[in-house]
Amino acid sequence: MNKFLICLFFISNLYANVPIIIGSKSFSESVINSEMLALLLEDSGEKVIRKFSLGGTKVAFDALNHGGIHVYPDYTGTGYVMILKMNGEREPKKVHEIVSRQFLDKYGIAWSKPLGFNNTYALTIRKNDKELSSIKTISELAGKLGAYKLGAPYEFMERKDGYKGMASEYGLNFSQENIVSMNAGLMYSAIKDKQVDFIVSYSTDGRIKAFNLRILKDDKNYFPPYNPAFLAKADFLKQNPVLKETIQKLEGLISEDEMIEMNDQVDRLKQDPKDVARNFLINKKLLKGEIINQEVQTSFISFAYSRKGELLKLVIEHLWLSFSAIFFALLISLPLGVLLTRKEKAAKLIFPVINTIQTIPSLALLGFLIPILGIGFAPAALALFLYSLLPLVRNTYEGIRAVDRNFVEASRGIGLTNTQILFKVEIPLALPIILAGLRTATVIVIGTATLAALIGAGGLGDPIFRGVSTVNSNLILLGAIPSALLAIIADKFIGWSETQLVSKGIRLAKKRRA
Amino acid sequence: MIKVENLRKTFNGNIHAVKGVSFSLEKGEIGCIIGTSGCGKTTTLKMINRLIEPTDGKILVGSDDARSVDPVTWRRKIGYVIQKAGLLPHLTVKDNISLLSKIMKRDRDFITRRVDELMGIINMPYDQFANRYPIELSGGQQQRVGIARALMEDPPVMLMDEPFGALDPITRNSLHEEFWNLNEKLHKTIIIVTHDMDEAFKLGHKIILMHKGEITQVGTKEDFLERPANAFVEDFVQGHSGE
Ligand SMILES: Nc1ncnc2c1ncn2[C@@H]1O[C@H](COP(=O)(O)OP(=O)(O)O)[C@@H](O)[C@H]1O
Ligand SMILES: [Mg+2]
Repeated sequence: MNKFLICLFFISNLYANVPIIIGSKSFSESVINSEMLALLLEDSGEKVIRKFSLGGTKVAFDALNHGGIHVYPDYTGTGYVMILKMNGEREPKKVHEIVSRQFLDKYGIAWSKPLGFNNTYALTIRKNDKELSSIKTISELAGKLGAYKLGAPYEFMERKDGYKGMASEYGLNFSQENIVSMNAGLMYSAIKDKQVDFIVSYSTDGRIKAFNLRILKDDKNYFPPYNPAFLAKADFLKQNPVLKETIQKLEGLISEDEMIEMNDQVDRLKQDPKDVARNFLINKKLLKGEIINQEVQTSFISFAYSRKGELLKLVIEHLWLSFSAIFFALLISLPLGVLLTRKEKAAKLIFPVINTIQTIPSLALLGFLIPILGIGFAPAALALFLYSLLPLVRNTYEGIRAVDRNFVEASRGIGLTNTQILFKVEIPLALPIILAGLRTATVIVIGTATLAALIGAGGLGDPIFRGVSTVNSNLILLGAIPSALLAIIADKFIGWSETQLVSKGIRLAKKRRA
Repeated sequence: MIKVENLRKTFNGNIHAVKGVSFSLEKGEIGCIIGTSGCGKTTTLKMINRLIEPTDGKILVGSDDARSVDPVTWRRKIGYVIQKAGLLPHLTVKDNISLLSKIMKRDRDFITRRVDELMGIINMPYDQFANRYPIELSGGQQQRVGIARALMEDPPVMLMDEPFGALDPITRNSLHEEFWNLNEKLHKTIIIVTHDMDEAFKLGHKIILMHKGEITQVGTKEDFLERPANAFVEDFVQGHSGE
């Protein structure tokens, strides 16, 4: 059965593989760069699909490597340290040479020339922090940091060239409980609100300007170069000369200041990354058209209204994902739950397994499925399917076991067969409990489906994660409100269907007991 | 009409619940099995209905041997009523009564007519009660519907396990009357399990007293009052009647 499911999911993936699928990590700069490529390709008549919220490096790179996307921008430093697990070289050209050669050998992936700017890590403080006002370079901090708090992105805490290397290179001594790993988008609000005193920002982040922050000089050249470039499979580039030519137009095009400006427009001024990218390309005479300086959105209602087309598409994606998961889970859970009431020994073996699946954190489960199923609909639907198994199987099992044995005995006594007892007696009597399980499963699935955006399956999580990484609360609400509404509506709908499906006799009995 | 020979049941190889029980009933006769709790009454009744397979012994209804057909077919020829009726809470009165006939794909008109007729017999007018659910009925009404359900396929034999056990004394008494009059018309052969000596005396043509898996005495009310087989029977009759 599982095999069949997986095949089905793959078929739906294959179908999507005709246009050029452009990926991006889930922060503004990556989205803007990918958007530039998408706009130029569309301008030359190509069809593109945007998968712009692919979480971190692992998801995006795995997606490229396993065919979930065709092209996405990444940084030379990331390729060098995170993927090749190398370190030592800090000269930008050399690092680009190394990643280009190694990626081609190992993965058949080609790097384009860099796009221009360098977006490396930077240790950043508040400009108006009086106690730190005399500090200009990281070296000056050595041994002084006991009580200060550091906020850093999850990735930075993980990687070799991240926190550990920096601390030992410069002799930094943040105490362990003062280091907070957090979402890169939330980090800037945290330092502004003095919840942390240092953050590890990116050197091209628009918020350095907007939030009145300043960068401490990396006087020992500790941070490796992070020059963005587009990655694509070499074979795919050969088959798609248009893609290759289009990427070339973007090589060396963007300066550091221009990138900071564009990041600020998206992150602070809440402009659509698509508009920002288009304006830039128009200014560079790569596109024709009018500059759009879209007003800062104020009310959520007008914002949501201006995005109604996108919203509808996201809701449909979300529902389609949730319902496929629940549908297949029902198909398997009902017979399985019934079977287990007949095989108590098997129940003792199977329930711990299903219970364990339920305890795997959703992000870990999604991450675990990527190497097997790639990104997109298939792994997301499979993960949601796995999550809805427990409430469905358990409630079917418990519901049938809770049926008073007297009813079963009386029915057998008057001459019903086991099958007739199951369908005419046990299932109707267990139905309220089974439907309660369906209710739980549906609410879990609709909620968890927001995480599917992180692995490119779309849905209402997509604006949520884009909103979090660009500090755009309208965008967060655009995903959060409809997904909460969907969960409530589904819950009410199943509650209503209970009054239609469950016999009045049982409902009366329940009321009388209450 | 019904004949039980040397019926035995041993659970798990060492619990001798029924140790060689024999008795017979003529057509239209009511037999009451009585005895203290745990003496094997229910086990005996379930073996006759093949809800429990006997370890040994023979069961005949008319000339049919229980072992000659499969259990489901056998049960469909025998009416079965248990304490608190065992009515299915999700079905209406008429659906409870007709459950088996529907499963056996009887003609729709036949079913409607038969349910109507039976509800008349149990004094629960169709118009008033057919669409009610068990929870909307009193204990006595539920028990009457249970009897109607057992009669639906017009079986020659009915088995009843403490059918009036959960009712209050007044309801029980009036149901006894109704039931007795009913069977004067229907002439079913009936086995009733009870622990109430008065009920056995009132309803039983034949009383079968069991003790520790064996029959101590079989006979009429007069036999038990005037000719008790031993001191245990005498004690039992005195201790369990006139409550
Ligand atoms: N399925 C079973 N497994 C083991 N022992 C049983 C089973 N059913 C009944 N017994 C035992 O057989 C004896 C007779 O039970 P039963 O026929 O139910 O008595 P009663 O006369 O009260 O109806 C009791 O000791 C009971 O514990
Ligand atoms: Mg009993």
